[in-house]
Amino acid sequence: MAVSGFQVRGIGERGRTSRLSVWFYRWTMFSTTSSAIRATAGYDEQLRYTQRSPATPSHLHHRLAATGINQSSGAAVRVKDYPDLLTDVCHLAKLRNITQLDRVVAMRSTRLTALAAASVLVLTACGGGGSDSGSGGGEAQLTLPGVDEYLNAPCPEVGTKPATDKEFTYWSMWTADEPQGKVLGKAIKCFTEKTGVRVNVQWLGRKLLTQNVAPALNTDTVPDLFDQDVSQVKAAIVAPGGTQTVEDVLDYKVGEGDKRVRDVIPATSWDFPANKDADGKIFEIPYELIGNAWWYNKDLVKDFQAPKTVDELFGLFDKAKADGLAAVSQDGDIDFYNAYFYTQLAERYVGAGGLEKVALDKTGQAWLSDPNLAKAAEPVEKLAKGQYLVDGWDAAKFPQVQQRWADGESAYLFLGSWAPSETREYLSKQGGDKGIAYATFQFPQPDGAEHKVVEQLPLGFAVTKKAKHPEAAKAFIAYTLNKDILSGIPAVADNLTPRADLAVPDSLKDIKAVLESDAEHTIFMDGLDALSGGKWVESVFYPLNNDLLKGKLTAKQFVEGLAAKQAEFWKTNS
Amino acid sequence: MASVTAPTDVTEERTSSAGAHLSRKKRLFFPFFLPAVTLYVLFLLVPTVATVVLGFTSWSGAGDTPRFTGLDNYGELIASDAFRYSFLNTVLYIVAGGVGTFLLAFLFTMVLREMRGGKVVRAVLFFPNIVAPVALGMFFGIILVYRPNRQGLANYLLESVGIDAVKFLAPENITWVVTGCLIWASSGFYITILMAAVDRIPPYLYEDSDIAGATPWQKFRHVTLPLTWDVVGVAGVLWTISAIKIFELVFVLAGPGTYSPPIRSWTLGVYVFDRSFGDQGAPQYGMACAAAVVMILLVSVLVVLLRRLMRRDTIQY
Repeated sequence: MAVSGFQVRGIGERGRTSRLSVWFYRWTMFSTTSSAIRATAGYDEQLRYTQRSPATPSHLHHRLAATGINQSSGAAVRVKDYPDLLTDVCHLAKLRNITQLDRVVAMRSTRLTALAAASVLVLTACGGGGSDSGSGGGEAQLTLPGVDEYLNAPCPEVGTKPATDKEFTYWSMWTADEPQGKVLGKAIKCFTEKTGVRVNVQWLGRKLLTQNVAPALNTDTVPDLFDQDVSQVKAAIVAPGGTQTVEDVLDYKVGEGDKRVRDVIPATSWDFPANKDADGKIFEIPYELIGNAWWYNKDLVKDFQAPKTVDELFGLFDKAKADGLAAVSQDGDIDFYNAYFYTQLAERYVGAGGLEKVALDKTGQAWLSDPNLAKAAEPVEKLAKGQYLVDGWDAAKFPQVQQRWADGESAYLFLGSWAPSETREYLSKQGGDKGIAYATFQFPQPDGAEHKVVEQLPLGFAVTKKAKHPEAAKAFIAYTLNKDILSGIPAVADNLTPRADLAVPDSLKDIKAVLESDAEHTIFMDGLDALSGGKWVESVFYPLNNDLLKGKLTAKQFVEGLAAKQAEFWKTNS
Repeated sequence: MASVTAPTDVTEERTSSAGAHLSRKKRLFFPFFLPAVTLYVLFLLVPTVATVVLGFTSWSGAGDTPRFTGLDNYGELIASDAFRYSFLNTVLYIVAGGVGTFLLAFLFTMVLREMRGGKVVRAVLFFPNIVAPVALGMFFGIILVYRPNRQGLANYLLESVGIDAVKFLAPENITWVVTGCLIWASSGFYITILMAAVDRIPPYLYEDSDIAGATPWQKFRHVTLPLTWDVVGVAGVLWTISAIKIFELVFVLAGPGTYSPPIRSWTLGVYVFDRSFGDQGAPQYGMACAAAVVMILLVSVLVVLLRRLMRRDTIQY
C-alpha cells in the first residue's frame, strides 16, 4: 500500500494565500487509486485561523471534532463513512471560491503520481470544480450561456418604419463593451440593416444627463434619443423642459404582427406620475426594469424561510450571527443605499407616493403627525444598535462591502437587481469559476402596515424636444422592444425587461414575480431623491438617515430631526 | 573740427539708431501685447465677470434662459447645510493642512540641510506631488480600508504592532484623514521651495552659529527663518490658492467616487461641482456661480491677510 500524506492549501480569493487561504487539514491518501481519504486534522493551523476570522469554517471544525478525528488519534477515516464531512469540505471550498489546490506538500513520501491523483480526487469528490470548469459544470456558474447565440441571431423585422428620416443620433448611458451596450449595439446594427437609417451613436456612460445632455440643450446640437432611469431623466432633463412626449410610441408596432408597444409592455412600467412631464404626458418608454430585494447565497444560508414579519427578518439575522457570519453587508459610503432600509419600511405604512407627500410638507410636521413614520424607523434603529451590519461597513469604499457579501463573510445584502451582475464580475475577476447561488426575498410587511408596495426603477428611452429626427428615434424605441432584440437584456445583460413573455434570469425570478404582482408600484425611494433636484435628500434626509443607521439617533429623534430640518429646508428652497 | 564733429555724428547716429530701435520697439508693443491680453480677457476676465453676473441668476443651463434673482442664491447658500459644511471644511483644510504642511516643511529644512543624501531625500519627498490627486485618493482609499481579517495596509500595520484597527474612512474621521493625506501629498512641494531658499543662505552664517554652539532650533529660529521669510510668505500664498481648490482628493476619498460624498465632507470645490454636474437633477449654474464667487472672495481675503501678516523688511545678505 502506497502511503502518502499531504497538506493541502487552497487559493483564497485574490490569491493572497497567507491571510485568505483556508488551511485544510492534512489529507492522507492511503491509496492512490481508491476514493478513501484518511484525514488527520492539522489543528494548529486551523485554530489560528479560527481565532482571526469569525467567518472561518468553525462548523467544519466542530464536524471534525464530532467525527472523532483529532491530532492525537490520527485515525484513518474512510470518507465514504463520513459523507457529511466531505460535503462540508466541498461546501467550504465553494464558499471560499477555492477551485484549485495551489500547494500540495508531501508530508511523508512524495510521488508525483500520488500528487496528481490527490488533486483530481479532491476536485472530483466535490462534484467537479476547477478541472472541468471549461464546460461550466457546477450549479452556480459565472459565465452566461446564450450570449453568442443572441448576438449572432438574425435580425427581426421592423414594425413601424420611419417615413422620411434617414438618420438619427443616440447618446447612450452605456459603454459599447458592457452587456447592455452589446444588446443595444445589436439593435442599432439590425435597425440600420432593416431600414437603412443610420444611427449616430455615442456611448457616454451613466453621467451623460448632467455632463452631456443638459449642457447640449443650450445649443442646437442635441441628440434625438437618449436613455437613463426615469427618476434621473425627470429631474435633469424633463424639469427644464428638454424632452417631448413619447406617448405616440405606445401605438407603434414592434415587428411582431400587429402587436403594438402598449400590447407588449405592461402599464405599470410606464404609467405612473414619475414618468409624466409638465403636461401630464409620458416622456420615457422603458426597456429594462430594475427592482430590489434582500439577497442571499443559497449555498451559504441553509434551511431558509422567507420572513413574514420584521421579527422573523431579525430572526434570520440572528441565526446568521449564530452561524459565525455577519448578518448584513451594506456599502455605507453611498447615501442612497443607506436610505433603502427606511424607505422600504415606511412605504409599506404610507403607500406608494406617500413619502413624497410627507417630504413636501412645508412645516415638516407631517413626520410627526403620523406615528407610523417613526415606527418604520424602529427596525432600522435595531439594525444599527443590534450590530447587524458587518463590522467596517461604514469605513470602506464601495464596492468593498458588497464584495464581502460575495466572499461569504455576511449572509444578506439589500441591493438592486444589479447585485448578481456586479458580484459575478467581482468573483470572476478573482480568478474563480464558482459563482453564488443567488436568491432573494422582499422586505416583510411591518406590524400594522397595510400597503403592499414594490419598488421599481424603469430604464428607458426619451426623445429631446429639439430632436431633428424624432420619427426615426421613436421607430427605434419600438424596435428595441421586439422580443428578439429585447431578449438580449436577460440573455446577455442578466437583467429584467418590462415584457412578461421573455426569459427571466433565475436569480431575478422572485423580483420579477413581485414586479408583476398587484402590489402598489413606486419608484426607488418613492422618488424622494428627485425632490428639489436632489437637494432635499442631500440636506434633510441623508445626513439624518446615515445617523440613524449608525445608531446615533433613535427612531423618535430621527423623525423629529426630519421635521425640523425639513421646515428649515423649505424656507429657502422651492 | 573733424575730430569734434565726428563724435557728434556718432552720438547723432547713436541717438537716431536708438530712436529707431525705440520706435520699432513701440511698433512691436501691440503685436506682442494684444494676443496675450485678448486671450486673458477672453478666457479669464469675461468668464469671471460672467460668473459674478450668473451668480445673481437662477439658471439650470439646460436650454432655459437665466432668470435674475438678485441675492437669493447667496441667501440660499448661507441657509444651506451643504454650503456651510463646504465652507468650514475648506477653511479647515487651508488652516490645519497649511499648519501641518509648513511644520513638516520647516522640520525638514532643519534636518535636510546637513543630512547626507539630502538631495535624494528631497527628490523622493517631491514624488507625491507628481501623482494626480484622483489617483492618490483611490490609493488612500485602499490603504486605509477597515476590514477585519483583510485590513488595508495602514490597519494591517497597526494590528501587527498590537494596536486596534481604526475606521479611517468613517464619516466622522474622514476630514482629518483627508487633512493628513493633503499634508503628506503637498509637503514635498513646499520642502522643495523652502530648501531652494535655504540653499541661498551663505554657509558661513551656519558655521558661525556652530562655533557659537547654537542648537538646530536656534539656527532655524535665528538664521533660516529670518532669511527665508519672503519665500515662506510666497509659499503660504501658493498654499492658500491651491488648498481652496481641493476637490478630487475629497471627492474620491470621502465618497464612493461615482457619486458625491456625504455633505459633511464637502469642500467648496465639491459644492460647485455638485451644483453644476451633480448626481441628480438639472444643473444649477446660478448657485454654482454664486459659490464660485465666494471662493474668489475667500481666496482674496486670505491672501491679503497673509501678505499683511508676513510683511517684514527684507533682510539683505
